[in-house]
Amino acid sequence: MRGLLKGAGAASVAFALVLTGCSTAADGGEGAPAELVIGSSDPVPNLVPGRQSNAFGLVMSVFSPLTFLDAEGELSYVAAESVESDDQITWTITLRDGWTFHDGTPVTAQDYVDSWNTVAYAPNAFENSGQLAVIAGYSDLNPAEGEPATDELSGLAVVDDLTFSVTLNQADSQFPVELSQAQTAFYPMPPSAFDDLDAYGKQPIGNGPFAVTTGWTEGEPIVAERYQDYAGDEPTVNKITWVPYSDRLTAYTDALAGNVDIVRLPANRMKQVADDFADDHIYSFSGPAISYLSIPYWDARFDDVRVRQAISMAIDRDAINEALFGNLNSPATAWTPSIMPGNPDGICGKYCEYDPQAAAALLAEAGGFEGQLTIHFPGGAGHDDLFNAVANYLRQNLGVDAIARPSVGWAEFSEDRNNEVLDGPFFARWGALYPSQQSTLRAVFTSAPGCTNCGGAIIPEVEQALNDADASGSEDGEAYAEAQRYIADQFPIVPLFEESYNFVTSDKVAELTASAAGEPLFTDVILAED
Amino acid sequence: MARYISRRLLELVIVFFGVTFVIYCAVFLLPGDPIAALGGDRPLPESVQQQLRLRYGLDLPIWQQYLDYLGGLARGDFGTTFAGQSVGEQMASRWPTTIKLALTAWTLTVLISIALGLAAGLRRGSALDRGVLLGTIVAESVPIFVMGVMAQYLIGITLGWAPIAGVSDGWPRAYLLPALIIALYGLAGVSRLMRGSVIDTMRSDFVRTLRAKGMSQGNVVGLHVMRNAAAPVVNVLAIQLGSLLGGTVVVEAIFNINGVGQLLYKAIQDQEGTLVVGVATTLVFIFLVTNVLVDILSSVLDPRIRHD
Repeated sequence: MRGLLKGAGAASVAFALVLTGCSTAADGGEGAPAELVIGSSDPVPNLVPGRQSNAFGLVMSVFSPLTFLDAEGELSYVAAESVESDDQITWTITLRDGWTFHDGTPVTAQDYVDSWNTVAYAPNAFENSGQLAVIAGYSDLNPAEGEPATDELSGLAVVDDLTFSVTLNQADSQFPVELSQAQTAFYPMPPSAFDDLDAYGKQPIGNGPFAVTTGWTEGEPIVAERYQDYAGDEPTVNKITWVPYSDRLTAYTDALAGNVDIVRLPANRMKQVADDFADDHIYSFSGPAISYLSIPYWDARFDDVRVRQAISMAIDRDAINEALFGNLNSPATAWTPSIMPGNPDGICGKYCEYDPQAAAALLAEAGGFEGQLTIHFPGGAGHDDLFNAVANYLRQNLGVDAIARPSVGWAEFSEDRNNEVLDGPFFARWGALYPSQQSTLRAVFTSAPGCTNCGGAIIPEVEQALNDADASGSEDGEAYAEAQRYIADQFPIVPLFEESYNFVTSDKVAELTASAAGEPLFTDVILAED
Repeated sequence: MARYISRRLLELVIVFFGVTFVIYCAVFLLPGDPIAALGGDRPLPESVQQQLRLRYGLDLPIWQQYLDYLGGLARGDFGTTFAGQSVGEQMASRWPTTIKLALTAWTLTVLISIALGLAAGLRRGSALDRGVLLGTIVAESVPIFVMGVMAQYLIGITLGWAPIAGVSDGWPRAYLLPALIIALYGLAGVSRLMRGSVIDTMRSDFVRTLRAKGMSQGNVVGLHVMRNAAAPVVNVLAIQLGSLLGGTVVVEAIFNINGVGQLLYKAIQDQEGTLVVGVATTLVFIFLVTNVLVDILSSVLDPRIRHD
């Protein structure tokens, strides 16, 4: 099947061009128009890999990562031949020979170094700059005050055309994993990109299987076609069109009408999707994301660990999952999602299981709860049902005066959270870009930049355990699970749900696969034969 | 008349400064920091945020930001969004879509409501009259998104007559369905007004005189009643055109039409000050200009109205 479609390659490109996006696969065989129409979010402000934050699928089709993590969390090498280190601090990256950018220039070690320097340089203000913070010299390019004295990361050194070395700030066994597909700040840009980064952001030239043929224009589709000289595995499709939708519901309705082949399932259609689409047109991938009910450690009413545990036990995660998410998410049983290698599933134990009597007893034992319990969450992002339900459970099972209060928008919420002015439990979520417990634990439970104030009071043992794990060089995640033992003891915040990334497809798609990032692999979509 | 027009134009300038300043302050006063929120769940590094604040002058006092904005405007520069896109370009790409949509909707409103109002007015008290009243009120009382989504399923998916998303099919195919949904909401008011106006005019002395002179019913209605009855309706219709341009937000979202309404909605959510001010100011301007035009037009239609 896959081989057949690969073979259909070049001949069908011209043919595919003639057909419009809504055509269904024609008479099969040689001329199958292997093209996809994908509903994307709007707006996509910039496609520079160091800047994009909502065009993962597109950037991952136009660029190839150094390393790749499949859905099982198995690491393989794509643009890199090897990523090696003896001490977990200095890493040597060797590129595969014969790779070219879409403009024909060869991909060299110098391109990677130039690209990373550009992304990390503070005056460029690239959104994904933080992904490079592990590299030595990052703080020199990002001083707390004023202009940086240098524009080169001291940790990067070109050895030869295909080899460069990377020195990190501290030992980090996860570095090869951090180079994987969703950390787009690590993608290379060709020399021509640096002349005009704004123009490049509209029509990026990458090293991946697809070359952008119609670049970004406000509100218009972006088109990419198969790059004939791609040195990696051949994609199964010839042409991909991303149509921007300003409203996910409209994208969903358009998929029902058959005008778009793959769209993300909107949260408020999770219940209904089984009625609208056939089973084999609904895909649910476990994502490396988890949501929490965070606890304000600056509020003394939550100081007693039993109060926090009681709150956790009073929430019926299964019922919420069924009622709101159509069972597509799963209740969390640890502080990182189970897709992470070596995840200590179930470490939360009985405190993550619904037990209203035990919860009420535990709260009484802790001396009850004074005053109103206000749950804060960012408004306008579709969290209303979830947090109203949580407040309901706390009111009914614990007898506390619980209400859920949305903020005006994300900006107000994050500012109040960062400044410790929220006066009750609040929404927290972390979507990791690479599947390692390290990513989530560091972002939420340490003082490192990430989700500020999301993880409750900092537990020093957790930070220590993470540093040990980083240095150990083991890849099974066992060392990171150790850190969660301290978290389970202290119970700083309440884990809620592991998220799934859900998609619906048209009849044209026979099989959709995803990588460990939870994003579908548009380049590997298997098309239906008719 | 010339004095009247120049006075109205002077008012425009004053309103322009007032509105831009008020909107600028309003966006500025929204709670939260738009730069910190740029990264969503994943916060931007502190150094990146600092650079962005510096680049967009967010560290300056509000009055200085406003003056800088006006200075840019004087040079024809609408400023840029925090993602670095030109506000002028964004508006230029979206205004045509919204204008097409609003004009289509407005034309539908005019045609349908005048026809309905006329028919109801001429056959006052009949089943037709009552039917029009009931139908337009039902149409207006169903929320616009319910109507929109229903129309998508019925006409778009079940019948397949019209596309349900985007404008890639071009005018008029892609615009008719959303325009009709918008038009439904103006029908009740305008057709009632037209009906009342027709009834009043039909009762007036000059109509009786015309009839007495033996003029046919068709000519009485077509040549005389229509023109006299239209004067108050034209006022309302023209003002509706102004509000239609800003009022397409919900329909644009439902039908995935990249117009100004969408742009404004997103801009307010993301606290993109320059974008909000740019779009809102143009909207206010259009509204004011249509008002001036209406005044001029109504004095043409009814010479008794004079603006001195």
